[in-house]
Amino acid sequence: MDTTPELTTPRRWDPIVKLTHWGVVAAVIGNAILTEEGSGWHIWLGYGLAALLALRLLWGLIGPAEARFSAFPPSPARAAAHIGEIGRGEVTQHRSHNPLGALMVYAIWATLLVVCGTGIAMSGPPPADPFAQRGEHAERTAATGAQVQEEREEDEAGEERESGEGEGEESELGEVHEIAVNLLYVLIALHLAGVIFETRRSGPQIVRSILPGG
Amino acid sequence: MAKRLKDTAIRRDRQALLVAVTVVVQAVAAVFFVADALDDVADAGVTTHIAIEGLIAFALLAGVVLGALHMRVLLAEARRREQSLSIARGALGAHVAERFRDWGLTAAESDVALFALKGCDAAEIARLRGAAAGTVRAQLSQVYAKAGVTSQAALVSLFVDDLLDWPQNAGS
Ligand code: HEM
Repeated sequence: MDTTPELTTPRRWDPIVKLTHWGVVAAVIGNAILTEEGSGWHIWLGYGLAALLALRLLWGLIGPAEARFSAFPPSPARAAAHIGEIGRGEVTQHRSHNPLGALMVYAIWATLLVVCGTGIAMSGPPPADPFAQRGEHAERTAATGAQVQEEREEDEAGEERESGEGEGEESELGEVHEIAVNLLYVLIALHLAGVIFETRRSGPQIVRSILPGG
Repeated sequence: MAKRLKDTAIRRDRQALLVAVTVVVQAVAAVFFVADALDDVADAGVTTHIAIEGLIAFALLAGVVLGALHMRVLLAEARRREQSLSIARGALGAHVAERFRDWGLTAAESDVALFALKGCDAAEIARLRGAAAGTVRAQLSQVYAKAGVTSQAALVSLFVDDLLDWPQNAGS
């Protein structure tokens, strides 16, 4: 008896999942094509993305049943079973992400964590003024102790590029950042392909479930 | 009636959306604030200024968690309401069908009686069924006779009386 209503009402994601999803999409697109690498705005968007991701992960612990991690455990075995279903042309209703989608979701989240983590490690705290240039900012974090305050004021114009010290570590982080971002693009392409495939297989409900008002 | 239910659902959705937006904005603000406060600690060590910032950071983060929990309660309530409504709907449908069977209504009479329950008058039912008003009126009086009532209002109240259990009984 208690399962009937769930099957008859179309499945849809709650507003937190929707808002964090489209917020992350906006931040990823913004940082990919709008902001300049390492600029103040890039860092701001990155922090915003990290916050949305953190909220979504919190929601995975305390949110409604279908948004929780326990509703879509990362399970290669179930993913394989799901591929079998696809092969046989069977369509089962999933309350949360389907097992294949679940793997994709965790992959995207892990990649986003690496991207945000390395980004924050490189940039330090968000600049008070996002119009400021990267050179000023990086230098501020590379510098130590009392120097910092002075330099912050001196470098208001922010034209100088970062100095030699600490660059090795920084460029390594930069490399990880870049590799993770490229991996993210691949995952997003696969994600979109998966959504399109699933829409053709089982109807537009899957897309409607994450759209506003859907 | 269906429209009113829908309006209520839309109003509740809006309310949930508003809470969700607040939680999201709060989460973003909290992350920026905490990052900034950590920077201040790195710069200046722990001072009273930092202590206050720490307090604010704690309040912001607690606000996010509490907001999220509140959100979850709103969602669970909405879902429960939807479910009990749909169970009640199914139960009412089954109950009505059973009574119609008990009274020995014909298929046509059942149709007409159902429209009557939904509040249509004879002319409307005639239009909806594409039948003559006179036929429908005759069927309606058959229905009333079989149900042992004399008016549409009395027919409706039979079911209300069967199904309505006012909460004050349950609460005592
Ligand atoms: C930057 C690009 C994107 C990223 C990083 C991304 C990431 C994600 C993530 C992490 C989820 C899981 C949601 C959760 O449980 O919180 C998800 C779900 C979803 N995304 Fe995206 N997404 C992107 C773009 C898009 C676009 C453009 C669409 C277009 C329709 C889309 C459609 C969906 C759908 C329909 C779901 C729900 C799948 C389900 O119900 O199982 N995504 N996405």
